[in-house]
Amino acid sequence: MNKILVIDDEAIVRTSCQRTLVPEGYDVRLATSGQEGLDLMAKESFSLVLLDLKMPDMDGIEVLNRIKTGWPGTKVVMVTGYSTVDTAVQALRLGAYNFIEKPFTPDTLIAAVREVFYGKNQD
Amino acid sequence: MKNIFSHPEKSIAAKLIIAIGLLMIVVSFIFWYATLKKQEEDIMSIALKYGDSFVQFTKRSTRHSMLIYERDETQRVLENLSTPEGVHRVRIYDHSGTVLFCSRGSTVGKPVDSASIACQGCHRNPGTSPVLLREPKTWNVYKDEKGNTAIKLIGTIPNEPDCYTASCHVHRQEEQTLGFIEADLSLALLDEALFKQGLALTAYVIIFVLAVSLFLGIILYKIVSRPVYELTDAMDHVANGDLGYSVPIKSSDEIGMLAKAFNAMIKDIKAARDQREQWTQTLEVEISKKTDEIRKTHANLVQTEKLASLGRMAAGVAHEINNPLTGVVTFAHLLKKRFPAESDESQDLDIIIEQSERCSKIIKNLLTFARATPTEKGKVSINDVLRRTIFMVQNQEKFHHIKFNVTLEDSQFVIVGDSSQFQQIFLNMFINAADAMGGRGNITVGTRTIVEEKKPYVEIEFTDEGTGIKKEDMLKLFEPFFTTKPVGKGTGLGLSVSHGIVKHFGGNIKVKSEIGKGTSFFVRLPLPSSDAKKSHE
Ligand SMILES: Nc1ncnc2c1ncn2[C@@H]1O[C@H](COP(=O)(O)OP(=O)(O)O)[C@@H](O)[C@H]1O
Ligand SMILES: [Mg+2]
Repeated sequence: MNKILVIDDEAIVRTSCQRTLVPEGYDVRLATSGQEGLDLMAKESFSLVLLDLKMPDMDGIEVLNRIKTGWPGTKVVMVTGYSTVDTAVQALRLGAYNFIEKPFTPDTLIAAVREVFYGKNQD
Repeated sequence: MKNIFSHPEKSIAAKLIIAIGLLMIVVSFIFWYATLKKQEEDIMSIALKYGDSFVQFTKRSTRHSMLIYERDETQRVLENLSTPEGVHRVRIYDHSGTVLFCSRGSTVGKPVDSASIACQGCHRNPGTSPVLLREPKTWNVYKDEKGNTAIKLIGTIPNEPDCYTASCHVHRQEEQTLGFIEADLSLALLDEALFKQGLALTAYVIIFVLAVSLFLGIILYKIVSRPVYELTDAMDHVANGDLGYSVPIKSSDEIGMLAKAFNAMIKDIKAARDQREQWTQTLEVEISKKTDEIRKTHANLVQTEKLASLGRMAAGVAHEINNPLTGVVTFAHLLKKRFPAESDESQDLDIIIEQSERCSKIIKNLLTFARATPTEKGKVSINDVLRRTIFMVQNQEKFHHIKFNVTLEDSQFVIVGDSSQFQQIFLNMFINAADAMGGRGNITVGTRTIVEEKKPYVEIEFTDEGTGIKKEDMLKLFEPFFTTKPVGKGTGLGLSVSHGIVKHFGGNIKVKSEIGKGTSFFVRLPLPSSDAKKSHE
């Protein structure tokens, strides 16, 4: 199982994730809002959710809470801007697996995703 | 002296002099009159004495010729006695009033004037009543035909045994008074003497009155009029607003006391006026100072508010930029994979990636700084915050020509607080330094541990090669809104806010500065003691 769900309101971020991770052999689905993401998760199951912290309707923390109660096995990596690092730390406490800061390089993203699937020392 | 008498109704001295002069004239006149009267009396009594003795002398001179009844002889004696200056006339008449002898001879045989003293000296009604006056008058004074004073004296010729026993038998024994001797004597010489004396006395009195008045006038002028004039003169000056004027004090009498009191009063008034003026002035200065302050505060508040909203906007913008930046970085990487590693394209893409990363760093720093609300307190590493701040400012145009010499002690200097607050302090230090150096030169930054009063501190040094700070500005540096920079450039809040933050943490800021050479700021923040021990070991 290498299905990944990207929830981000910004198209360029979604596309970037898709274009980076698909060549690495991951199955990537995209959602433009928290609600859309949760709807998708109800239909399909994902191993990893890349979740934007700052979104207009439902913010990342709330979506994280819903995922953690509905799908405790699914891992969540938060994607944040610098100013929300403190919130990211809060997210870790709430059960997120890790967080990466925007703007990220493909290498950073791949490394973070690999860590989720294969553990820290995999390369 | 002149002004005393030009308007006597306005001068006490003149009034006093006139009053005393009048009094003296009256007293002197009484004295003069009394003296003259007394002299006249004295002279008159002397004249009477001499007149009496003249009558006695006449009586004795004629006695013999009368006894022997030599009428011609008697007449001759009388004529001899009469002299033109002194003795006007001597005559003898009997009790019935018929003149028997006369020195001039003209009235012989005629009756005397019954209205004159010749009869009325003794008789109340001569000729009709035998009643005699109790005090007979024997003399009287009158004016003669030349207007000179003259005296008429009458002496009695009593009956004597020789008379009624004489052979002629003219007189009988029962007769008491045989006749009278009347002498008219001139007092012209006495008149003259009296007149001369009166003249001399009058002159004395006039000179005395004048001398006393003059003396009094001078004295009064000296002790009353002049001081009073000086006083009124001073009052005029004061009334015209010249409060610096004072009356010369020449005596310790009532007028001197008045002058003293007046001077004291003027001094009080002047002090009051000066104080009032001073108050007005200070008030004006205070008001303009406060007005300036308010204007400045207002301008600064506007400025601060502008900066704050600008900061919030910048934060929002920076945050949004992260998303497209992610796209740029990702796609540059994707593109790079399509070219051989050493190709020109690959190298160009590296530049894009590098510059994008630089963008992201700048934004990170901007975000740190622009964060408006202080976050929760956390453990902050001073060295880290310093490094981040230096990195941030190095990317600003203002600092392009400034070299940073950074020597940080190998310790984290962890303090519990808000990193953005420390960043604010450091950033202001750098901006001040850059401003002082005109954007060119070296800034030396260092951290070290020091111990002050047995407590560990981290000392952060900021040294520049700028203009330095004037001595008089040193004390004002930390005052809010103190700035030497033009409006729009400086807010004068940097150091005051920094000082507030540092004080809040229990630290302090020291300044060393030399004009033309540069300035060093030393920010000292207390370290937790356990941490200090660790860093010391
Ligand atoms: N390093 C320095 N060299 C010379 N003058 C300085 C320096 N730092 C501060 N000052 C003086 O202190 C004033 C107040 O500084 P500050 O409180 O930061 O306000 P601002 O920078 O807005 O003027 C400055 O206007 C300047 O005159
Ligand atoms: Mg400043």
